[in-house]
Amino acid sequence: MISYILKRILSLIPTLFVVSIVVFLVVYMIPGGPATALLGMEATPESIEALNTELGFNRPFFVQYADWFSNVLQGDWGQSYFLQTSVLDAIGEYFGPTLSLAILAQLISLIISVPLGILAAYRRGSIVDVTTVSASLLGIAVPGFLLSMFLMLFFGVYLKWFPVAGYVALQEGLAEHLRYLILPALSLGLVQAAYITRMSRSSMLDVLYMNYIRTARAKGLKEASVVLVYGLKNAAPTILTVIGQSFGGLVTGTIVTETLFNIPGLGMLTMTSITRRDVFVIQGVVLFVTLIYVLVNLVVDILYGFVDPRIQLGRK
Amino acid sequence: MKHGKLSRLLALVLSCMMLLSACGQPSNESTSSEAPSTSTEQSAETEKPAEDKKSEENKDASEATTYKTELNVAMTANPPTLDVHGVNSNIVGGIGTHIYEPLFAMNQNYEPAAVLADSYTVSEDGKVYTIKLRQGVKFHNGQEMVADDVVASMSRWLELSGKAKALLDGTVFEKVDDYTVTMTLPEAYADVMTVLAASIQFPAIYPKSVIDNASAEGITEYIGTGPYKLAEWKQDQYVHLTKFEEYTQPAGESSGFTGEKLAATPDIFFRVVTDDSTRVAGLQTGQYDIAEEMPQERYQELAGDSNLAFSVKTTGTLNLFFNTTNGIMANQDMRQAIMACLNCDDIMLASYGDPSLYILNPGWCNPDDAMWGSDAGSEYYNQNNIEKAKELLKKAGYNNEEIVLVTTPDYGEMYNATLVVQAELMEAGINAVVESYDFATFMEHRANPDQFSLYITSNRYNLSPVQLSVLTKDWAGLDRPEVDEGIVAIRTAASSEESSAKWDELQSFLYEYGAASVLGHYSGLMATSADVEGFNYFDFPLYWNVKVPA
Repeated sequence: MISYILKRILSLIPTLFVVSIVVFLVVYMIPGGPATALLGMEATPESIEALNTELGFNRPFFVQYADWFSNVLQGDWGQSYFLQTSVLDAIGEYFGPTLSLAILAQLISLIISVPLGILAAYRRGSIVDVTTVSASLLGIAVPGFLLSMFLMLFFGVYLKWFPVAGYVALQEGLAEHLRYLILPALSLGLVQAAYITRMSRSSMLDVLYMNYIRTARAKGLKEASVVLVYGLKNAAPTILTVIGQSFGGLVTGTIVTETLFNIPGLGMLTMTSITRRDVFVIQGVVLFVTLIYVLVNLVVDILYGFVDPRIQLGRK
Repeated sequence: MKHGKLSRLLALVLSCMMLLSACGQPSNESTSSEAPSTSTEQSAETEKPAEDKKSEENKDASEATTYKTELNVAMTANPPTLDVHGVNSNIVGGIGTHIYEPLFAMNQNYEPAAVLADSYTVSEDGKVYTIKLRQGVKFHNGQEMVADDVVASMSRWLELSGKAKALLDGTVFEKVDDYTVTMTLPEAYADVMTVLAASIQFPAIYPKSVIDNASAEGITEYIGTGPYKLAEWKQDQYVHLTKFEEYTQPAGESSGFTGEKLAATPDIFFRVVTDDSTRVAGLQTGQYDIAEEMPQERYQELAGDSNLAFSVKTTGTLNLFFNTTNGIMANQDMRQAIMACLNCDDIMLASYGDPSLYILNPGWCNPDDAMWGSDAGSEYYNQNNIEKAKELLKKAGYNNEEIVLVTTPDYGEMYNATLVVQAELMEAGINAVVESYDFATFMEHRANPDQFSLYITSNRYNLSPVQLSVLTKDWAGLDRPEVDEGIVAIRTAASSEESSAKWDELQSFLYEYGAASVLGHYSGLMATSADVEGFNYFDFPLYWNVKVPA
């Protein structure tokens, strides 16, 4: 198992290298440097040129990349020109809100989706099943920004239950932290719930008609045990994979929701750093996101072994 | 039974949500980053240290009113810096004007008036200004402002501000004694005080030590003499300013950027809210007291909300700039043909959404400005004459060459205007192509005449026409002796009437030559809660006298 984990981690290195060189090249090739964004619309070409030279952006591509890469190997991911902080610090600061949001959204989605998926599969063809399938289809089809706007208008503007935007760090109180996160988390969680519900239902359907389920019933086990112990446990690997993908998406792909609800997370950092041509932040965020994706998949793979001992990682 | 369970579950979820919403109501001592406190209160009495007699008479009434101690302003973007010398940005200037002060600034009537200066005299040849400084003015770090700080700040501003460099090139500031400096100009200019009193990219006075420690990217300590000092800048979230208790009030009543600045609300949070809908929703719920740059297309809808108040101010022009040097665009008839196509009303309506938010006028300066407002060249403005355009195209020998309109969707008004202009050009048979880029890329294309035929930008008013971007070679490549001669004539004219007449001539030339065209004058739209008091939407929204009843 440990050698498997090590292998997976080592396989990250070429992936990250290729990603970094591609991103660096793309950012290098698109016109407009940080100086343009920093100095504003009426800045003179001379002042833009001077600042770009000062910041080292007029050097050849390979010189810039080699410089950055050697720094990364020494643990220095570079400096953000706009945030006036190191890239690692910036990622650390912006990752907190995103992680909180992702965890809350994932919890909401799981609370809704797994029971609904099981129930829909168990009551296949019933009104519960039809309603669940229709609702999850609707959830997948509705654009996230539309749902966000609806939640903001209904719970924020009309009912005034929750603030429409902003973020309060966890250190300043759990209730306040959650109060600011609940609407964006609902918005993300409902969309994810729709997807996980569908996948839970279909994987449970595959399992519930297997012979061992019939055998369990014939043994006289309680129906709850049959469904939850024998059914859910065997459907779990598929559901886990979907949850892993969902969590990876939540951690890395919440640009629209974070922008709408004004949450200073990784999504917002990605968008603003692209607009500002904050090269090292773009590089850092992309590498970090790649890392997160791979790690989430690794964790899911490891969890397989726990829910289904037949899956033994690293064994041939 | 199952139905009962479901109901209980639903009730539980709703209870949790309500509990959360109740628990999380802003507390009295909220220091949260994004949680605007609405219940932190203090009496009006404690906020008004200089009550006048009139206020005394209203004491009973004001005693009954309590005001918020936090003002929450929703702004549209994170400021790239808080160093006002080097960056031409409304957001930087708008926040910076609360932190820093210049020697001179514009009063409400747009007359330069002293702020950190006490008085000044001019030598007979008009080249040497001797400026006495106010004594006892403290920086936020507790140091007193003296001549060394002024010389260092003004010299840095002359170096970093493009317009200062262009208009005051060769100017030198020198210390005479701790409270006196001299400004020596290479020539006597009539508009010196106007340039010094610029509102955007203004000559803020920083401590000399701050300038000594500045890097290429700007200063790292944001210390001024203003009524507010920087408490915290949380990138992409907010800029928190807090009242500077040792602030020394300038003389006179509050007027524009000059006079009394009370810091009536002790804390201001400039919150970065990039999404238009979120700013509107936050204002409607009271989360923000003031929202900058409201979406103009929603003006009519929101104007009906009695809880909101709107401030509309004509703040600049939407302009079309031609490539005057390359290819077919170097032909004056070609440029005139394009100008003949323009229906400015349609263009402005598409850009600003509501007829009450723009005016049609050919002037490059504020039409209300007695000195610089001008109709010169009006025969070339808003012609909407396709037949004339076709004739001019024939005369220019136009042979279906591609006319490239460069734009950026990052600025909605510029993008929308470009699309309408494209449609109008196509109606005249011009092969107009729109190239749309993000802002930084657009700026690269705009700076290179090989990469555009024309482009549209919105530009704020300048205090003097000689500061207009259209007159600089860097902006759209316009390089004509008439422009340089016109600028000199305006700046060295013997009287204001003569200056004004010279500007009329230069504006006429810009239209006649087909260098550029104003499309219309746009208004900025600010919204506040209806109960906000003391708000002044001047060149920037000014918050130092704003109070909001709790």
